Amino acid sequence: MTVPTVQHTEGKKDVTFRVFRFNPQVDSKPYFDDYTIPVEKGITVLRSLNYIKEHIDGSVSFRAFCQAGICGSCGMRVNGLSQLACTTQVWDVLAKSREPGIIKVEPLRNLPLIKDLIVDMDPLVDKMKHYSNWVDSTMPEAEMGKKEFLISEAEFLRYDKATDCILCASCVSECSILRANKDYVSPAVLLKSYRMSVDSRDSLHEQRLAELVKDHGVWDCTHCYRCQESCVKSIPIMDAIHGIREDAIESRGMKDTSGSKHAEAFMIDIEKKGKLVEATLPIRTNGVIWTLQNLLPMAVKMIMKRRTPPPPPLVKSAKGIKIFREMFREMTEHVKQDHKSHKN
Amino acid sequence: MKRYAYYLSCINESMTKEVDRSIELWQNDLGIELVKLHEGTCCGGSNLEYVSPKHFALVNGRNIALAEKMGMDLIVSCNTCLMTIRTAKKKLDESPELKKEINDLLKMEGLEYLGTSDVRHLLWVLVDDVGLDTIRAKVKVPLKNYRIAPFYGCHILRPSTVLGHDNPRDPTSLDQLIEALGGQTIPYNHKNRCCGFHTLLVAEEESLNVAAEALKEAIDSKADFIVTPCPLCHTSLDGYQSKALKHAGVESSIPVFHISEMIGLALGYSAKQLGIKRHIVS
Repeated sequence: MTVPTVQHTEGKKDVTFRVFRFNPQVDSKPYFDDYTIPVEKGITVLRSLNYIKEHIDGSVSFRAFCQAGICGSCGMRVNGLSQLACTTQVWDVLAKSREPGIIKVEPLRNLPLIKDLIVDMDPLVDKMKHYSNWVDSTMPEAEMGKKEFLISEAEFLRYDKATDCILCASCVSECSILRANKDYVSPAVLLKSYRMSVDSRDSLHEQRLAELVKDHGVWDCTHCYRCQESCVKSIPIMDAIHGIREDAIESRGMKDTSGSKHAEAFMIDIEKKGKLVEATLPIRTNGVIWTLQNLLPMAVKMIMKRRTPPPPPLVKSAKGIKIFREMFREMTEHVKQDHKSHKN
Repeated sequence: MKRYAYYLSCINESMTKEVDRSIELWQNDLGIELVKLHEGTCCGGSNLEYVSPKHFALVNGRNIALAEKMGMDLIVSCNTCLMTIRTAKKKLDESPELKKEINDLLKMEGLEYLGTSDVRHLLWVLVDDVGLDTIRAKVKVPLKNYRIAPFYGCHILRPSTVLGHDNPRDPTSLDQLIEALGGQTIPYNHKNRCCGFHTLLVAEEESLNVAAEALKEAIDSKADFIVTPCPLCHTSLDGYQSKALKHAGVESSIPVFHISEMIGLALGYSAKQLGIKRHIVS
């Protein structure tokens, strides 16, 4: 990587890299080592780590390869945020550092640690296998190589952005639900699943979708958008997650999972009253037994505080609900027409 | 007196009535009037978008069109309603075909979505329109003895392509409001993290873990209370607090306030007037 000479004239800064260290074979617990080095404007975090490794401490371990934001190897947390070290400018990070002159470098979250800044990507690869993150061609084997398998540009545009994913695992590291449960599918795998499922050449759509709607799958996403916000390729990951949910509803209906039943309740209530009927939402999502087992103690507290949502008959409809309902139903007809023409 | 159309969030009309009650008390003190939009409907709560993208555009195009008819910006005090309605606005503004389809239906009610009204959070109006100096000048009971953990929640920050007011990595508007009211904000890593609300009924254990992490940091940091601009975050952090902390093995608790209540307290209104006694954690 060449650094433009104009940037050299703006001088150097001494920067301290506070690097997470842990070698499970030797260390009883993790610690941080400080390395202070002179850094010019235009230098990336990865180049700084390379300098530290070559000139100060050869034992600092991290994974890197292309140095150009293409291979996705050098994902790590820089001042708390998961990103690629090779595309992260030291001076940009310094400008926002809470501790002046100090950059904290840590491994990605939500994946097992191997050593220092290196995490084990195997759990992610295992999930990609579990959710069939590949296209299994619908073309008979005998025809393969003999004719082209064309797709339209319109279809390609549906998953164009998703193909930009380089599996750096920044989104995995930032995911709220994965932090709470390591079995969760993860945003990267949902993105890949979407990309494969909307490909008309793929034969695994139903099988993949059946796995995605199970526990720890697509319905467990809590819509925090941290994955999308941290994506180093600016991929709208939530659009892919919404895309899988839309697909699940269209292909499997709205009665097979608590997630889809929960979503259906919004549609029904809006059409009926223009307002959400919150009192019955837990029952409609999970049934009476679950609701009694899980929410009864809290419901008692809420009753004491007069905090319970009103029962359905007492939920006032929005003003002008009659005309609204007509519009809503007219739109339902539009959507039916859209589905018909989509199938044809 | 600057006037705004005020969107009535479903949760503020049922479980968190204290939010709107508090705003009604102090809005005139701060020189604003929020005109309630009784014709508005549920935004779809970040679910309708994938159940039916077109109904989603219709419902929220209509919500905005109602404010446009009044010639006012639409003000929202729930993060998810904010993100949802702004998402619909972005889609409508970017797609002339969708806008036409929606407007053909909105004619039935004499409405038209034009794209002229902005959709903004109450917090943004307070910081940008009312102004921190005005707020500071109106404070009667400064919150000077309190260490406050600012919990922004997700949908006032992310996706930044839709929200765009605060830097989602380092938001400041809530911190500024707290400081204008005389309070002291604490460094709080969970300030831009998730409360877990949206999966409380679908992935309860995970959601409780998410809520517990945010509560634990505030408790460990010896904050006196958490404050949030979102009634959904409030429900997760207050309503589900004992369950979340029990789940995490933490024997402690921390009060959680809405921004509307925190402002009310600083402007001299009583906890009773503000409806603070309705909280689960006192």
